[in-house]
Amino acid sequence: MESFAHLLSGFETALTWWNLLYCLIGVTVGMFVGVLPGLGPTTATALLIPITFGMEPVSAIIMLAGIYYGGMYGGTVTSVLINTPGEAASVITCLDGHPMAKQGRAGVALGVAGIGSFIGGTISIIGLALIGPVLADFALRFGPPEFFSLMVFGLIMVIGLMGKSLVRGLIAAFMGLTLSLVGMDPVSGTLRFTFGEPFLMQGFDLVTIAMGLFGLSEILLGMENLTNSDKPAKVKGVLPRREEWKPTMNSIGRGTVLGFFTGLVPGTSSTIPALLSYSLEKKIAKDPSRFGKGAIEGVAGPETANNSYCGAALIPLFTLGIPSSPTIAILLGAFIMHGLTPGPVLFQNNPDFVWGIIASMFIGNLFLLIMNLPMAGMWAKITMVPGKLLYPLILIISILGAYTVNNDLWDVGVMFAFGIIGYIMKKLDIPMAPIVLTFVLSKLMETSLLQSYKMFEGDLLQLFQRPLSGSLLGISIIVLIFSIVAEIKKKKSAFATDVEM
Amino acid sequence: MEKSKGLLKNAGVWAGIVLLLYSSIIFGLSFKLKYFTAFGPGPGMFPRWLSLILMIISIIYIWQSVTKEVLLFGDIFPSGPELKNILAVIASVLVFMLTVNFAGFTIASTVLLFILLVRSYKWYLALAISVGTSILLFVVFKIFFHIPLPVNGFGW
Repeated sequence: MESFAHLLSGFETALTWWNLLYCLIGVTVGMFVGVLPGLGPTTATALLIPITFGMEPVSAIIMLAGIYYGGMYGGTVTSVLINTPGEAASVITCLDGHPMAKQGRAGVALGVAGIGSFIGGTISIIGLALIGPVLADFALRFGPPEFFSLMVFGLIMVIGLMGKSLVRGLIAAFMGLTLSLVGMDPVSGTLRFTFGEPFLMQGFDLVTIAMGLFGLSEILLGMENLTNSDKPAKVKGVLPRREEWKPTMNSIGRGTVLGFFTGLVPGTSSTIPALLSYSLEKKIAKDPSRFGKGAIEGVAGPETANNSYCGAALIPLFTLGIPSSPTIAILLGAFIMHGLTPGPVLFQNNPDFVWGIIASMFIGNLFLLIMNLPMAGMWAKITMVPGKLLYPLILIISILGAYTVNNDLWDVGVMFAFGIIGYIMKKLDIPMAPIVLTFVLSKLMETSLLQSYKMFEGDLLQLFQRPLSGSLLGISIIVLIFSIVAEIKKKKSAFATDVEM
Repeated sequence: MEKSKGLLKNAGVWAGIVLLLYSSIIFGLSFKLKYFTAFGPGPGMFPRWLSLILMIISIIYIWQSVTKEVLLFGDIFPSGPELKNILAVIASVLVFMLTVNFAGFTIASTVLLFILLVRSYKWYLALAISVGTSILLFVVFKIFFHIPLPVNGFGW
């Protein structure tokens, strides 16, 4: 009940003209980058953070969060119309969405995806509003050992689930950890690895690194092949046939539940619930052979699941201060830049802020539903913008974005360097998500580990003796052993995808 | 002889060596930081362990690249026109960074865009898009967002 009152006051914040405008800008940018292949929400959020410096924190996060969940809607459009996923979570949608478009039912595929996304997104935000405060309350009792173990758990999950090999995941994770060492040590304030360079005293900036790794590297990859995309299919009629409603709604329901629970697990990505949902739909269908040839459930389920995942994935950020994916890591960076510390005290200290954002997400999902159902055809036209024009423009905007971080060319140089590193890593199949995640978490991990060390007077084995931290570390060890065995046997699960969401 | 030639072309091995060097440098430098202070663990503790683990992982990676997954430069990196596209991007950014502080944002950005666009558009069209975009961005960022973009002697 208390949550409900808070939520109402959140709507007061979210419904002011300015915040509505920022929400609209956010979801529109999200749709836009979702539609453009090769440009994802991670890049877009990183790019727009500098612009938010002058804004109120709540407006800034409303806009950035809008990009995050808006991207999920946008990716569908290109999957269905030109068989090219706009972002990773929509890969699955190509399987049945594009065949539907070939049968002249592109509108229906987009419509069903839009409705599913709206339902999944909205329900997961309700979940966030209900579970968030309770979990935050519980997390208030966490000490440094619990936080340390939780972060270890999250990292192991990322490494275990993402990327094709454990060794490559570990390389990325430790690169992130070591990169964040540069600058001032969080405990004693000693300068580390700065080589006397004043710019390095503050350490590397998350936004700059993320823009290089996810943005510039995509531009380089995109410039490699400047082929023109196919002409998108025509969009007409967005509602399914009457007899299709029931199976569609059932898949949407299952997708919502799957997506929500996957979102709660740190280290998962939005591709995982989409994949799970697709295989579930195929398994329980009376006639599985329809799948791959334009089965409506194959679009409805996965599209719902990835949006439902999105809302749920914000729960660890809001309640524990722990990001579960690179986009959320950048959101975390934005929180910090605006002077807010995500974590258990956020719900207590800044209720207006948290509830304002949650309320704005309901509104944003409504905006997206409107943008997708009647206006799907308009978005399709964006896919016609040729890469040879698009990539140079994104390049100069990225440079500007990096420049605005500190109003200095230094950051442009850092972004450039990380762009090339990212490009090489993509070629070598080393996943990039772990770098950004560990980079964000490293300082927190170091602080909590050293605090635990002092607490236990040097006996770190006591980490295993506290029930929660002990079980988290226990599970982490099991996951790690499992991944090592899988690596040796060369049997990596089907979830082994490197995605930026 | 054949084998050593293969190693030189093995991208994974080179990446592993770079990583090994990187982690060794951190490992070496971490000895200059205090491992322990009077108050407990010092600033050197975390770096030393992290870099040590990364060193071990890089060695495993090199070993994997030689024995199991051989990724040759020629197989994963582009060549011909594709390589030229990539090099054009890198060159354009370098030119931008070298010129922007005295030529100003508008000119440097025009040059960057022109280098990339002229490869696929007619020169006058490429020039028009480059100039137009640069001026637009300059106006939006400098005048609306008050971002102190680098300018030339004339103030743009």
